[in-house]
Amino acid sequence: MLTQFGQIALFILVIVLFISALPIAAFIFRLIGLAPHKPTQVKTSTYESGMETVGKSWIQFNVRYYTYALIFVALDVTAILLYTWAVDLKSLGAAGLGVALVFIAILAVGYLYTWKKKFLEWK
Amino acid sequence: MNLWLLAPELSLFFTAVVVLLLGLASSRRGIVIGVSLLGVLVSFVFAAFLWSGTPQATFNGMLSVDQFAVFFKFIVLAALVLVILASADYDYKVEQVRAEYFTLILISAVGLMLLSSARELITIYVSLEMSSISLYVLAGFLRDRRSSEAGLKYLLLGSVASATLLYGMSFVYGLTGKTELGQIASAIQSLSLSGLLDNPALLLGLVLVAGGFGFKISSFPFQMWVPDVYEGAPTPITGYLSVASKAAGFAAVMRIFYDAFGAPSWLGQNWGLLFAGLSIATMTVGNIVATAQANIKRMMAYSSIAQAGYIMVGLAAVSMGQSVAPAARSALAFFLASYTLTNMGAFVAIIAFSNKTNSDLIVDYSGMGRRAPLLALGLTLCLVSLLGLPPTAGLIAKVYIFNAAVQQGLLWLVIVAVLNTVVSAYYYLRVVKLMWLGNPVSEEPVPSSAALRTALFLACAGILLLGIVPDLLVRLSETAGHSLL
Repeated sequence: MLTQFGQIALFILVIVLFISALPIAAFIFRLIGLAPHKPTQVKTSTYESGMETVGKSWIQFNVRYYTYALIFVALDVTAILLYTWAVDLKSLGAAGLGVALVFIAILAVGYLYTWKKKFLEWK
Repeated sequence: MNLWLLAPELSLFFTAVVVLLLGLASSRRGIVIGVSLLGVLVSFVFAAFLWSGTPQATFNGMLSVDQFAVFFKFIVLAALVLVILASADYDYKVEQVRAEYFTLILISAVGLMLLSSARELITIYVSLEMSSISLYVLAGFLRDRRSSEAGLKYLLLGSVASATLLYGMSFVYGLTGKTELGQIASAIQSLSLSGLLDNPALLLGLVLVAGGFGFKISSFPFQMWVPDVYEGAPTPITGYLSVASKAAGFAAVMRIFYDAFGAPSWLGQNWGLLFAGLSIATMTVGNIVATAQANIKRMMAYSSIAQAGYIMVGLAAVSMGQSVAPAARSALAFFLASYTLTNMGAFVAIIAFSNKTNSDLIVDYSGMGRRAPLLALGLTLCLVSLLGLPPTAGLIAKVYIFNAAVQQGLLWLVIVAVLNTVVSAYYYLRVVKLMWLGNPVSEEPVPSSAALRTALFLACAGILLLGIVPDLLVRLSETAGHSLL
């Protein structure tokens, strides 16, 4: 028991040493001049080879997105559930069809509600 | 699988959908409330049919339709009628979303009714969440600062409680490999343990499940959400939270602990002692803190914590042995029925007063006996019944539940409970005294709508009827207590 934990402790020790060795090595190479240090504006930018960001990333998202997300999740779950139902449709028979219709009808109430309440209109 | 056994829940759910769709066409108050009440009536008729049937399990033992479950369905439906009537005068605050408000109330009631008959861990959890999620939204329905705070607090703490409950259930499942309560009981018995400390997983599961439900029934270490949520939530919802969700919570606790952990007898006595200890802490904390409250909704919140403590006396009595458990169960059912009427009645009166005065401070109740004699009389009756004086239902309920506890040899617990009742007299009677002997702030009378008056009348009539002729309901609750599957 104790030796097994000992192996894990050894493993952790190796991890810690390896992780700390890298920045220390980088620092030492810099000191003795092995690593040249010539920064330019392009090099120090955040996404060196990516797109320039437009505006700040700490903006507030429009709260209207959340209704779309909610409806999407419901639709997604419906689709997944209906796949499993469709695979077994033959053996489930008419009763299975009825159950699926009830299920869809309940969800349709939700869609009808969001539609009539004009949550789907972007104003 | 017999869908007839689910008729009360299904009809109520159908009503909820109809109300939601009606709200799209028109949100006239009369239509929405009328359809909701009609749905409750239909559901009540179905439940009454189930009452006369034989107890049976359905959906492969996931739900049990016995008189005990049907009794709690009656309680939820009664609370539903009162809360719908009480909202009639309050819903000007939620005018834009009136249909949604009633839909959510109906859906949460469906969850609570399922909870009272669930006898399988997953079903219990699903029905608990079904009611809780609607109630989280309802608590924050006014969207002002206090109400939002109440909704958010209820959501966050409720989620923690749900997680605790699930964690406990996972231990129980891991130990026994079963989710159905009866099978869990036989699995535990086949382990042939000699004490709870033999098996830490069982101990942990038991305590965590008790913790998760302790939140729902506002038992002592989990009661901190109660005052804030009760104060901030719309007042009809506060009343609904304090009775219906508590009653169904107690039904579920009763079923889980008695069905799954009832045997062997040392196990029953262990959780019995757990609930006895929690009961003492709950009622003491509730009563002592209630004496210091200036806001009547907060006072009622602490009072409902104290009442939960009294109900847990009954829970402790149930645990103490097979032969006497039915009597204790009947007492529990009777107490919850009387408490439902009484507390809802008190909240109806509070709504009527605060509609006029726009304040929930106890000081503002001064002299209400002269400004609105009938409302004040109703509130007085409800408070007296909460205290447990004759001729009200509260007295019979307390005598019934304490009697059951004494017969189980829990005399010490009953003594503490009676001492607590004495403490509670201070804050209940303070409001009564202020109403009748205080000087009115103004001479203006307090108007109230017909719906509110009907609700208060129904509650008060129930309280007096049960107080004077308790025999009616005692017989029903005895049937319920003996019927548990």
